[in-house]
Amino acid sequence: MTLAVVNVSPIANKKFHSLLIKTKSEIEMALTKAASQPTTIEDERQRIRDQAGLLIALADSNPLVRRWAARDLLTYSNVSAALVERLLIETEPSVIEVILTTLTRIGDECAIEGLIRCLRTENAMLRNAAIEAMKLLPDEIAPFISHLLNDPDPDVRIFTVDVLESLRHPQVESWLIRVITEDAHLNVCGAAVDLLGEVGSECARPALLALKQRFPEEPYIQFAADLALTRIAAG
Amino acid sequence: MAEPLTINDEDFLKFREFFYRKTGILFEDSKRYFVDKRLLERMNATASENFRSYFTMLRFQTSGEELQTLINAMTVNETYFFREEYQFQCLVNSMLTEIIAHRKTEIPIRIWSVPSSSGEEPYGIAIYLLEYWPQLRNWDIEIISSDIDTSILNRARHGRYSARAVQYMPTILLNKYFHRDGEYFQINQELRDAVEFTRINVTDAAEMRTHRNFDVIFCRNLLIYFDDLSRKQTAESFYDALNPGGFICLGHSESMSRISALFRVRKFPEAIVYQKPWGMK
Repeated sequence: MTLAVVNVSPIANKKFHSLLIKTKSEIEMALTKAASQPTTIEDERQRIRDQAGLLIALADSNPLVRRWAARDLLTYSNVSAALVERLLIETEPSVIEVILTTLTRIGDECAIEGLIRCLRTENAMLRNAAIEAMKLLPDEIAPFISHLLNDPDPDVRIFTVDVLESLRHPQVESWLIRVITEDAHLNVCGAAVDLLGEVGSECARPALLALKQRFPEEPYIQFAADLALTRIAAG
Repeated sequence: MAEPLTINDEDFLKFREFFYRKTGILFEDSKRYFVDKRLLERMNATASENFRSYFTMLRFQTSGEELQTLINAMTVNETYFFREEYQFQCLVNSMLTEIIAHRKTEIPIRIWSVPSSSGEEPYGIAIYLLEYWPQLRNWDIEIISSDIDTSILNRARHGRYSARAVQYMPTILLNKYFHRDGEYFQINQELRDAVEFTRINVTDAAEMRTHRNFDVIFCRNLLIYFDDLSRKQTAESFYDALNPGGFICLGHSESMSRISALFRVRKFPEAIVYQKPWGMK
């Protein structure tokens, strides 16, 4: 068995050496060694990678180029608006993911407002990805939560409760108590009471009991509120 | 005198649901003792009054620092040759079969093992290919292995292992690819020469740009130590590091589906792995 060792960048510059391995075998061994230089492939720098060049690349026809542009724009300031505009028309899921990651890393007010705009889109993939991104920004998203919980669209309120589901913020319980106390929509309250089963404390007990009174004919609310009360009592 | 800290059944269930949602790790009832022990250790270390106060901190601490510490405590960081061998079986029986079926040119197949740790995984892959993938006579394979820690990379390049590291290596393979050096086992020079070790920080996009065109990535038990955003960013970089149709293997307790929607779940007979769909740029 021979061992071919290649000092190679992935595409070019091959140099083969054959070495004799200690234990011979019938297998012709072809493990080759690669150098780690970057390869020259289709996304290689075709434009100057300054802010202006990256913003142009953000609209390139090749999604690989758009992904790298969205990723590299992180190092520039005042790019959130351009990223949000691209996000709202972008159709390639892989590019959407990278733009959302960059916006999450930036986390400025413009980025947050862009994520909130995604809650109103009919594109479920974009909406859900934006919800996941918002969960990663507890301090930045917190000032917007009260406003979102008052949104006239119950879907937006439910999506906001979805954001609270994994939001690491000390006000989560009080926001949820407010929802089950004030919100008239059954499904919004249902989403909130589910979550209170996990994060609720004794503070939530009166609101949970009042919720049961508000929706006496709704078996799911009765079940979920009882479960939350049981867990609070056990805790 | 303060009452001893305890974790009741409801606490365990609540924690288990939360931890599963955050990490994808599901603790069966049989792991109750293991979970309780580590939870109580962390509750003591953080001077928490009871489970509720600890859970509240875990759940709402903005930095996520305690959650990360707990994840580290709940996961076993041990590496040895042929760890999670079913994925190597999947490599030689399923993944490589699919890759060469789509291959139109004879460019080498590239495998990336990250983190390299002290080299058990990349050398293990090399041995597995030599022993169990007959197609090696027809295809060149490059194995690249990377780590952020330069000292561990040097250890990996050196290839010297304790008996514990090779405990699951069949004796016949141990004799074939290692020689005894006192109480240690030295991997042979040919295998050392066959693996390229590089330093990389996988959360650095610029560094990740230099590692690409891979057909298979092994990234096991690394992402679990990252925060959510770094995990997602790294998964996206892996996506661009893979060729179309390329596979990524995570640790048994990790799930790409919880990190990114970019990859397709592939259920092979030997293992569940994740794939950059064919045809995707």
